[in-house]
Amino acid sequence: MTTPPHQPEPGSIRDRLSSPRPTDQASGPGDSRTSDVPESSFQNGDSAGDLAAHGRGHKQIHAAMAPEPVGLDRHAMLSDRDAKAAERKVASLFLLALLGVIGFVVTFFAVEQEFGKPWNTWFTPLLGTFMALALGGIGAGAVLWAKLLMVDEEAVQDRHDFGSSAEERAATSKALKQGLADTGLPRRKLLRNSLLLGAGSLALLPLPFVGFLGRFQNKERELATTGWEKGARLIRQNGTPVKLGDIQVGGVESVFPDVEEGTLRADSPALLIRMRPEELQLAGDKQEWAYQGHVVYSSICTHLGCPVKLYEQQTHNLFCPCHQSTFKADQGAKVIFGPAARPLPQLAISVDDEGYFIAEGDFSEPVGPSYWERG
Amino acid sequence: MSVLEKGADTTAGWFDDRLGGAGYIRKSLNKVFPDHWSFMLGEIALYSFIILLLTGTYLSFFYTPSLTEVVYDGSYIPLKGVTMSQAYESTLNISFDVRGGLIMRQIHHWAALLFMAAIVVHLARVFFTGAFRKPRELNWVIGTLLLVMGIVEGFAGYSLPDDLLSGTGARIANGIALSIPVIGSWAAFLVFGGEYPGTAILDRLYALHIFVVPLLILGLITFHMLMVWYQKHTQFAGPGRTEHNVVGSRLFPGYAAKAGGFFFLVFAVLAALGGLAQINPVWLYGPYNPSQVSAGSQPDWYVGFLDGSTRLMPPWEISGFGYTVPLSVLIPTVVLPGVLFTLLGLYPWIEARISKDKGYHNLLDRPRDKPVRTAIGAMTITFYVVLMIAGGNDVIASVFHLSINTMTWVLRIGLFVLPPVVYFLTKRACLSLQRSDQELIHHGIETGTIRRLPNGEFVEETVPLPEVYQVGMTGVEAEPLDAGPETPAPVGPGYEQPQLAQAPDRDGFFSSRRKREKVPVESDAPALEQTGSRKV
Repeated sequence: MTTPPHQPEPGSIRDRLSSPRPTDQASGPGDSRTSDVPESSFQNGDSAGDLAAHGRGHKQIHAAMAPEPVGLDRHAMLSDRDAKAAERKVASLFLLALLGVIGFVVTFFAVEQEFGKPWNTWFTPLLGTFMALALGGIGAGAVLWAKLLMVDEEAVQDRHDFGSSAEERAATSKALKQGLADTGLPRRKLLRNSLLLGAGSLALLPLPFVGFLGRFQNKERELATTGWEKGARLIRQNGTPVKLGDIQVGGVESVFPDVEEGTLRADSPALLIRMRPEELQLAGDKQEWAYQGHVVYSSICTHLGCPVKLYEQQTHNLFCPCHQSTFKADQGAKVIFGPAARPLPQLAISVDDEGYFIAEGDFSEPVGPSYWERG
Repeated sequence: MSVLEKGADTTAGWFDDRLGGAGYIRKSLNKVFPDHWSFMLGEIALYSFIILLLTGTYLSFFYTPSLTEVVYDGSYIPLKGVTMSQAYESTLNISFDVRGGLIMRQIHHWAALLFMAAIVVHLARVFFTGAFRKPRELNWVIGTLLLVMGIVEGFAGYSLPDDLLSGTGARIANGIALSIPVIGSWAAFLVFGGEYPGTAILDRLYALHIFVVPLLILGLITFHMLMVWYQKHTQFAGPGRTEHNVVGSRLFPGYAAKAGGFFFLVFAVLAALGGLAQINPVWLYGPYNPSQVSAGSQPDWYVGFLDGSTRLMPPWEISGFGYTVPLSVLIPTVVLPGVLFTLLGLYPWIEARISKDKGYHNLLDRPRDKPVRTAIGAMTITFYVVLMIAGGNDVIASVFHLSINTMTWVLRIGLFVLPPVVYFLTKRACLSLQRSDQELIHHGIETGTIRRLPNGEFVEETVPLPEVYQVGMTGVEAEPLDAGPETPAPVGPGYEQPQLAQAPDRDGFFSSRRKREKVPVESDAPALEQTGSRKV
């Protein structure tokens, strides 16, 4: 129903829309115009009527609807002169907005934003300034208007209480149960069970779609392998291969596998570091993986995968800029600080007939962040 | 009646004939909103969100969420000829070739930062004043969800330009997904469509960023506002303000003019920021390259605390039975936020349970009157701030020439030592402030005048504290100003005991203020009516 039972004849709608507020305040408790429930977007007319009937006294409801202004005008009424002055203040702010809009439009079309064009660096700052003037003029004007020229009232309104009456709750609960009983669901076991099965299986319907979001077939192999393979040359970002002797002692070079898309693969970037062979203290057969003081580590951080690229020559420290994990390049890239838990994997390298560095195979363990199946 | 008014009435009447609602609109215009500067913090968040929708729509017309490689040929000369993704190219175009695109991008980014900041400060306001108590627990939960959604939305947006910085963020997100036990690699492959980086992530983040998450936020905000409207806003204690009423200005015209004006002021500030304060100059970072990262890379501020927790975490990792649990990632990036946000969302129930306060509350607390709650809040803020400082530890270390290792250790220790210290200090400060209030109430304001009595005694003259302050300080409900018959307690079934704010009488864990009986505005204090005096 659209009209609550207490609403008066529809003919007076216009009157109500335009009636001045004092009428509201003056109307007494018995006034039918205000006797429905407190404003509520959650109740429909019916239950609201019920609530009003046994819940709340008319007077209180009335008060809730028509707040009473008290303590009017903290700064009293302005004199005519002051009011005029206030009006001028507000008006000048509104006109400032006009100026802002004009400035904005002129800037937008007269100044060229494109890189290298004269005045281009002024474009955005000017646009911002004029926009701020336009918006700020309206905003400040409106606030000042409200503060200076509108009645500064302290209106009081009663709160309505929450929670329905016990009767209301019982009635609703009963209606629900009755409705449920009317469907026959509690009695008809076949209906109920088949519905549970059918509707329950509906929940599985989206699963294939979700599953299709990822390619899982080679998941573990993809995670465990990189672009490196036996015989792949170590190339730089620009594609040139690295030759023995290209790098000085203390030098470092970002290297990628010379395979298809080798420089684009996110799991393959590595770091070739050269130090004096006697400085390199590698455990067991990892000694063999280095070549005459050249050692290659994955540059994908074992913590969260940022590129570990900052190398400190003197201390042989490799530093990850994301979370400050620090690895010791001369000692098998073991972790000496920060949240990374594992050393950077080392790549076995050697040199081919032409003197270029080649990989002896892929990394012997997965590179990058740890995961459950990693072992 | 002017022609304009007549026309308005006719139009309104036309609609009312079909839809009704005149009565409802009139009631709405008369709705009273209490006024306090701290109530506008939430408004800032709302307005920032509207501005985000406006600017974001414009940006979406020019942005292409594609990782397809192209060679840049726009007007920004330093990057001419560089191979990059379409996403990055379109972001450069927005910044250099789309008229007004740069200011839109910058306003959008500033508005995102302000949106999150306003949410956090609004949350603090609601927390410290106890506005989350019954009947407003649900709105507190919605607010918590909005906070989380805001972080997700911000992160997705941050990743879209596909510059060096945002690509690093996506890389880290992938690592975080991988760290989840059992399902980690499945989750990462599901989200990224395969091994990192894949080709799908930008399209997905884009769909999330411009449709799914904004829709959720919009829905939650709508519900948030409806609840505020329906339950009415809380208010601070003061003359004439009770648990049963709202004192303030009516929606129309005063409140509407102020709130509407405030929207434009927020927009003006963001426009000025977007025009004058450069933010995220992606053209300086270059396109994303998995083998590169710049030193001092930072996430947006609202993710900073998680970055910090990750930096402070010791290198713990459990392996066994062929499986690995990377605690050094899992704890700071999954467990910590999970626990923090769960505790945050459940806080109203936790406090109600411990304080055994199940009553309705429409009057706000002054933070000092709830020393334990205030201390918990201060403690949490300390914890959060230490994490946030840790998120910038490399920048701080390099600016102040500190050892980053030392700094990390100081912060690791500080994370556990500082919060309890702050808890203790805050609680003491609250109790002291209560005492100082009592002093003012009982003895009045010092005038600096000392009077000598005929018998030679010196007394100090004081002026009684104006009643308006007394009421605010004591939180003791004042009589309604109209002094009419007291509003009858709600009667009828279901209202046997309207427990309005009766619980705090007990001297519980959360209200360790001295008992109400001692606080009162002195029924035996006619002295307060006149000039008070005390011995010196």
